[in-house]
Amino acid sequence: MEATTLDSLALGFSVAFRPDVLFYAFLGCLVGTLVGVLPGIGPLAGISILLPVTFGLDATKAIVMLAGIYYGSQYGGSTTSILMRIPGEAASVMTCIDGYAMAKRGRAGAALTIAAVGSFVAGTMGVILLTVVAPPIAKFALAFGPPEYTALLVLGLLFLAYMSSTGLSRTLLMAALGLLLGCIGIDVMTGHFRYSFDIKELGDGIGIVPVAVGLFGLGEILATPSKMVSEKVVPPRLAELLPNRQEWRQSVLPIARGSVLGFLVGIVPGSAHIIASFLSYGVEKRVSKTPEEFGKGAVAGVAGPESANNAASTGAFVPMLALGLPTGPVTAVLMAALLIHGVPPGPMLVNEHPQVFWGFIASMYVGNLMLLALNLPLVGVFVTVLRIPYAYLYPLIIMFCIIGVYEVNHSIVDVWIMLIMGVLGYLLRKFDFDPAPLVLGLVIAPIFELSLRQSLIMSNGNWLIFVERPIAQALLIVCAVVLGLSALSLLGKRRDWRAKLAQAEAGDGSDRG
Amino acid sequence: MQLRRDHVAGAVMLLAGALVLAASTDLPFGTLASPGAGMLPTVVIVLMSAFAALLLLNAGASPPIGAIDWTDAGHAVRVIGVTAAAVALYIPFGFIASMALLLFVLTFLVEKKPLIYALAFSGGATLSAYLVFGTLLNAPLPRGVWH
Repeated sequence: MEATTLDSLALGFSVAFRPDVLFYAFLGCLVGTLVGVLPGIGPLAGISILLPVTFGLDATKAIVMLAGIYYGSQYGGSTTSILMRIPGEAASVMTCIDGYAMAKRGRAGAALTIAAVGSFVAGTMGVILLTVVAPPIAKFALAFGPPEYTALLVLGLLFLAYMSSTGLSRTLLMAALGLLLGCIGIDVMTGHFRYSFDIKELGDGIGIVPVAVGLFGLGEILATPSKMVSEKVVPPRLAELLPNRQEWRQSVLPIARGSVLGFLVGIVPGSAHIIASFLSYGVEKRVSKTPEEFGKGAVAGVAGPESANNAASTGAFVPMLALGLPTGPVTAVLMAALLIHGVPPGPMLVNEHPQVFWGFIASMYVGNLMLLALNLPLVGVFVTVLRIPYAYLYPLIIMFCIIGVYEVNHSIVDVWIMLIMGVLGYLLRKFDFDPAPLVLGLVIAPIFELSLRQSLIMSNGNWLIFVERPIAQALLIVCAVVLGLSALSLLGKRRDWRAKLAQAEAGDGSDRG
Repeated sequence: MQLRRDHVAGAVMLLAGALVLAASTDLPFGTLASPGAGMLPTVVIVLMSAFAALLLLNAGASPPIGAIDWTDAGHAVRVIGVTAAAVALYIPFGFIASMALLLFVLTFLVEKKPLIYALAFSGGATLSAYLVFGTLLNAPLPRGVWH
């Protein structure tokens, strides 16, 4: 690390160790763990619901708390997976398999400790990599103009489609629908009202919070009747929290591999933390000398995926902070949170708001320590939370959804939009569409439209501007490669990792049933 | 020909695209050198229709429409109905009345929990939320006719 990076990090720690910032980091981690523990409410819904609560805070405290919810949920998700075989959070699907098998063998405590330690190591390693990688990328991105941003956003969408488990055309269809929803409201360049149908609240466009809360929060509740939620918990024996020497030995390499793999996957657009945990499970099974143990309580089947999903959630902050590019719906909402506080994420963030940037990064080092301290001693408390009957839990979540969405703009129209999106989210699940690209399309629509139109104005309508500038050209070449790879996998019809991921995700649903 | 899941999905998306296109006639497309408000929506609708058509073309590989599991639909319809009623009452009746009603109806009528439990839960949870959001966090929650 350069001296300037260390100086900046020192500035970050001076912000992160302020008692008020520490308090909001702790609050975020605690809420995130609960969000991860509770089935039916993921990090996206949790962050969206709590977004309005941050309006009275400054940008640093707001982003520290919201990010704490995100990476905290990755820790919490493992608890439900190991003790109930229900992924509290989508990225914990893979942990269900061997985590629950370990719990049935009386090793629930060891599985929880390995998941927590793996999450801590991967999260910390991810933050170190973020510290090193993000500033130079941001510096490089200062050379980006509208054509480069247009190409980058197209690349982001194509990557998302390529990585998706639901197929290229379905993902791009959802992204297009999101882009179309993002067109609603006043056109900033000409002042035209688009699709507002004389509803004045639609003049400002459709907000991300009602859409995200509706699709992911309400949509999940509609698809989960209480009779389908198991309340069987395999309680851990707290006296057996510490793994034995053999279990520690078996978890070291999977944690290291999961951390690196997860961070790299996290940088790429898509549901990175889900994909990372799936890929890590596959890698561990492949390199294992005893692959037959996977599914029956293999330690590596818990250590690898749990490390990977934490590292991926940190990796996803690289494009968000350095390029202003959301790689998934969670980072899109976090970006929206920064924008609401008047702090635009992107290459200028490091120089214009160093306290926010470095304070946020430093808070993640502290947050990971907090989560380690929080998750193991308080596992009994989280088990108690899991015993709250779902029949009481989901009405509460609906109430919080209504409060959260209404408080953003004090607009009842937003709450109706949330309800409509909830119904849409339910139907999309039935027809096997992933709603995440829709949210991403909605968020990038204004940025994409502005940069596209600015590019065309710059070139006097000449589309060649996108291939004449070297960075834009390089990005478009990568787009072509991604499209080519997608076409190849379509032609080959082979059963690759995405098909297996889709199967694993479908299995998650059936577990609830 | 058997009707399949992606036949329905593709057709609905195509129809949606056509409807939005019809609603876009008043938006100026502009020129390439000076793009108008209608350019991006038109481009996106064309792309959306193309992907929907692709879905329709490959629909043969998707499961039959009858294979979709709708066993949770009853629950979904009840929750949507109760939530819609609560949203409609949110401004006129205020936070406490509408949310207490939402929680009570969902726990007592939808989930068939004992009356006493449902009453205690809906009253306690609503007042706690009001204390946290309305009082501690100073969020302006609607007070309805009691304002």
